[in-house]
Amino acid sequence: MNAIVEMKNLNKFYGSHHVLKNIDLSVERGEVVVVLGASGSGKSTLIRCVNGLEMYQNGSLLVDGYPMPVEEDRRLGGESELAAIRKGVGMVFQQFNLFPHKTVVENITIAPMRVRKKTRAEAEATALKLLDRVGLTEHAHKYPGQLSGGQQQRVAIARSLAMEPHLMLFDEPTSALDPEMIGEVLDVMRELARDGMTMMIVTHEMNFAREVADRIIYIDQGSILEVGKPDAFFDNPQNERARSFLARVLKH
Amino acid sequence: MIARSLKWTRHNLFGKPFDVLLSLTVIPGVLWMVYQAVSWALTAARWDIIPQSLRVLMIGVFPADQAWRAWIAIVIIAILLGAALGCVFAFKGRHAGALVPVWAGCAALAGIENVTNVLLIAVTIAAFAGGWAVASRFPPVRKALVPASFIGLIAIFAVMAPPGAGLWGGLLLSILLTLVTAVLSLPIGILLAFGRRSRFSGLRWICTGYIEVMRSVPLIMVVYWIWILIPVLTPQFNLADVVRGMIGFTLFYSAYVAEYVRSGLQAVPRGQTEAARSLGMSEFDINRSIVLPQAIRVVVPPLVGNVLDIFNMAPLVFIIGLTDFLRAGQMILANPQFGDRTYEVYSFLFLTYFLVGSLITFVARKLEAHLARGSR
Ligand SMILES: Nc1ncnc2c1ncn2[C@@H]1O[C@H](COP(=O)(O)OP(=O)(O)OP(=O)(O)O)[C@@H](O)[C@H]1O
Ligand SMILES: [Mg+2]
Repeated sequence: MNAIVEMKNLNKFYGSHHVLKNIDLSVERGEVVVVLGASGSGKSTLIRCVNGLEMYQNGSLLVDGYPMPVEEDRRLGGESELAAIRKGVGMVFQQFNLFPHKTVVENITIAPMRVRKKTRAEAEATALKLLDRVGLTEHAHKYPGQLSGGQQQRVAIARSLAMEPHLMLFDEPTSALDPEMIGEVLDVMRELARDGMTMMIVTHEMNFAREVADRIIYIDQGSILEVGKPDAFFDNPQNERARSFLARVLKH
Repeated sequence: MIARSLKWTRHNLFGKPFDVLLSLTVIPGVLWMVYQAVSWALTAARWDIIPQSLRVLMIGVFPADQAWRAWIAIVIIAILLGAALGCVFAFKGRHAGALVPVWAGCAALAGIENVTNVLLIAVTIAAFAGGWAVASRFPPVRKALVPASFIGLIAIFAVMAPPGAGLWGGLLLSILLTLVTAVLSLPIGILLAFGRRSRFSGLRWICTGYIEVMRSVPLIMVVYWIWILIPVLTPQFNLADVVRGMIGFTLFYSAYVAEYVRSGLQAVPRGQTEAARSLGMSEFDINRSIVLPQAIRVVVPPLVGNVLDIFNMAPLVFIIGLTDFLRAGQMILANPQFGDRTYEVYSFLFLTYFLVGSLITFVARKLEAHLARGSR
C-alpha cells in the first residue's frame, strides 16, 4: 500500500452533534483529492482531522505512516506522533493566517528554523526560492498587511512548502479572495499538482476541481456519499444528493 | 478673526439657556481662582524653601556625603527612560534644543550657585538624550531594552545599597519603586496570564485564584501583609523595608498585568495558533513567537497606563514606614521652622506629580499611534 492518508471508520462528534460518520478514505501518494459538499457538511472538519487541528473520537487515522491519536489519548498527553505528522503535512487556510507581525520572509523561515533546526541562511535561501516560485520575490521584506489577498495566500502556500511537506491540505483557499485574484492562487496550486504534490483540497471552484482532481469525494451531513473520477462525477453523478448539489452549484 | 471667535463663543458657550448660566458662573469663577493662584505664586509665596529642601525631596534622608550614589542611580534611570522613549518616538535635533530649557529649569530649581549640581543635572539630561537618540537611531538596540533594564536596576541596587536600603527615599524612591514594579510585574503577569489559560486545571485554578484575590483587595492591604509576612517566612534574610515594599507592589500589580495580557491573548485570532500548529511548531514556540508578541501589541497602552497607576500609588508605602516623595514633603513641613510653607511645598509636589504623570501619558499616546501605524 502506498497510501499517505488512511481513515478507517472514523467518527467525530461536537458534543452530541455527529459531524463525521464512519469515514473510510485513503489518499495515495501523488494523488489530488478534491472534497466537495454543501456548507456545513463537514469538509473542513474532515481535512482538519488529517493534521490534528480537530480531534476525532473513534476509528483510526494513519498519516504518512504515523497513527493519529484519538481525542482521549491526546487529552492524556499522547501527542508525540502529532508533532511528527505536522512536520510533514502543510495546510493552507481560507483566511491565509499569515503572522502579521513578521515579514514575508520571516513568515516562511520561522518554522524551518524552529522545527527543522535549519540555519537562518539556509532557511532564507529556501524562502527566496519559494517566493520566486509563487512570483513574489520583490515582496520578500514586506509585512502581510501590505499585500493583496491573492499575494498573501501565495505567501501562505510558500510558508507551508518551506517545511517540505509530503501532503498539502487546502481549506477553501480562494473563498476569501476577490474574483480577480482567484486565478493567481489556482495557478500556483495547479503547478503543485503537476509537480506531483499530494493534495487534499476543499473548494467551490468546480472547473478547477474537475481539472486538477484525480478523485472527487462528495460528502453530505458527515458521510461520504460518492467517490469518483472527476469526469464521471460531474457528468454522471450516481447519488441523488450529489446530483442536486451539482445542479445547484453549476447553475451559477 | 474676531467675528469667528465671537461666533465660536456664541455657539459653544452661550448656545442654550443652561449653557449661558453655566458659562456666566464657571468662567468668572475659574478666572478668579487662576488670578488668586498666580498672584499668590508671584507675590506672597516664598519659594526659597524648595531649593533649600530639594535634596530631601529628591532622595529623602539618604546621607548627603553619599549623594554621588544617588546621582549614579539617577543617570542610569535617565538612560533607561530615554531609551524607552526612543523606541517609539524618534529623536530629532529640535528635541535636543528643547532639553536645554529643561536643564536651565532644573538648574534654577537646584540653585545655580551649586556648580556641581548644575553639572550633574547636565550629565543626567545628556544621558537621557543619549539613550533616546541611540534607541531611536539604532533599532536593534531596542531588543536589548528589557535585559538592559534588569541589569540597570540591579546596578542601581548595588550602588545604592551600602549606606543602607532603609535610607532610600524621596522622588528617587518613588521612581525606583515604579520601575522595579513595572519591570518585574510584566514577566510575572505574562506567566500568570498563560497559567490562567493552561490545560492543566491545577495550574489554572492557582493562577485564577491569585489574580482574583489580588484584584479584590486594596493595594495598601497587600503591601502591609507582605511587609509583616516576609520576616516570618524568611527570618534568615532580614529583607529591608524597601525591598519588602517592592515585593508587595510587584505581587499586587502582576495580577493587573496578567488581566491586561489575558485580554490581549484573547484578541489574537485562533487562526494564528492553527497556522503555527499546522507548521509543526511546539506550543511553547507558538506562544512565545506568534501569540505573545501580537497580544502585547494590543495591550501596550493599558500597560503604560498601569505604570502611571503604580507611580501615583507609590505614596502608599508610608504604611510601612518608607519616605517617598509625598512623605518627604510632609517631613519638611514637620520642621517647625518651615511650618508655614505648606502651600509652597504641596504646590511643588502637585506640579512634579503632574509633570511625571503627563510625561507617562504622553508616551502612552505616542505608543498608541506608533502601534496603530505598525499594524495597518
Ligand atoms: N467548533 C464547533 N463546535 C460545534 N460544532 C461545529 C464546530 N465547528 C463546526 N461545527 C459543525 O460541524 C459541522 C461541519 O462543519 P464544517 O466546518 O466541517 O463544514 P464545512 O463543510 O467546512 O462547511 P463550509 O462550507 O461552510 O466551510 C457543521 O454542522 C458545523 O455546524
Ligand atoms: Mg469549511
